[in-house]
Amino acid sequence: MRPCLLLQLLLLIATATPAAGQSTVTGIRDLNFGVVIRGVQTSVPPSDPIRSGRFYVRHILNRQVQLRFTLPTTLARVAGGGNLPISFAATDAIAQGTAGSSVPVTFNPNNTQTFTLVSSADFYVNLGGRVSPAAGQATGAYRGTVTLTCTFF
Amino acid sequence: MRIAIRVSAVLAALFSLATAAEAQSANIQALATVYQPISFTSTRNLDFGNVFPGVAKTIGIAAATSGQFQMGGQASGNVNLTFTLPTNLVFGANNLPIGTWTGCTSPTNTTAGCTAFTPSGSATGSAFSALGALWVFVGATVNPGAAQAAGNYTGTVTLTAAYF
Repeated sequence: MRPCLLLQLLLLIATATPAAGQSTVTGIRDLNFGVVIRGVQTSVPPSDPIRSGRFYVRHILNRQVQLRFTLPTTLARVAGGGNLPISFAATDAIAQGTAGSSVPVTFNPNNTQTFTLVSSADFYVNLGGRVSPAAGQATGAYRGTVTLTCTFF
Repeated sequence: MRIAIRVSAVLAALFSLATAAEAQSANIQALATVYQPISFTSTRNLDFGNVFPGVAKTIGIAAATSGQFQMGGQASGNVNLTFTLPTNLVFGANNLPIGTWTGCTSPTNTTAGCTAFTPSGSATGSAFSALGALWVFVGATVNPGAAQAAGNYTGTVTLTAAYF
C-alpha cells in the first residue's frame, strides 16, 4: 500500500515540471534609432512599431516569468574610434500579452520585473531608449547589444 | 518509521525539482547612424525681373536668376526635399499668380546634368555628394493679368530638407 502511494505521488509531482522547449525567449527586432544628428539627443519610444526593439516570450499560463535586461551604456562605432552614449528611462519598456484582452504594462528596463501570465501564455516585450551624440561625435554607424534574460517559474 | 522518513526525503527532493526555475536569454542590437547637421550656405532669389500685364513670363532652372539653394550635409547622405510654395506674389492688395514650378538638384553649382523634379509639398528624394554638397535650383512662371497693377511683387519659397 505504501509503495503504491509513493508511486502515485511521484507521478503527480513529475507532471508539475515545465516540459523542455515550452518556455522560450526570442529577439525579433533591433532597437534602431536610424539617422541621428550630432549634438541632438534622439529618442525612440517603446511603442514605436518600427524602431523599438522587440522580444517574444512564451511560457505557461498562470506561471511567472522574471525579466532582466542587460543594457549597454554606449554604442560602439562600427569603424572604430568612438562611443555613442545610450540610456534607458523608467518608461522605456512595455510588455503585452497576445490575447486581445491583454493590457500593455509599462515598466523600467533597468530593474528586474516579474509577470504572472494570466491572459495569454505568450507576450511581447518592446524596448525604447535614447542616444545622446556629442556636438563633435564621429559620424558613422554605431551598434551595441541588448540582452533579455527570462527566468521561467 | 524508516519508511516514513524515506518517503519524506523523496518528497522533499521531488518538490525541489518541481519548482526549479529555468533561465534563457536572447539578444537584439541597438543601432544608430550619426550624421552631421544639414546647413544652408547660400541662397539666390528667384527673380522674374520686369513683367508686363497680360504676358506670362517663365524663369527656367538654368536661368541666371533662377532660385538657388546651396546646402551642406553628410557625405552621400540621403535627404528628402519638401517645399512651401506661394500661389501668388503680393504687392499690397494685389496678387500676381505664380505656378508651374520646376526644379533640379546637382552635386555642383551647375544645372548641366542636374536631376529634374517638380517642387511641391511632397517629399522629393535626393542625396548629398561624396563631398557633402547639394545644390537645388528652382524656376516657375508668373501670369500677370491684363490689368495687373504695377509694382514690386514678392513671395517666399521655403525649402525643408531632412535626412532619411
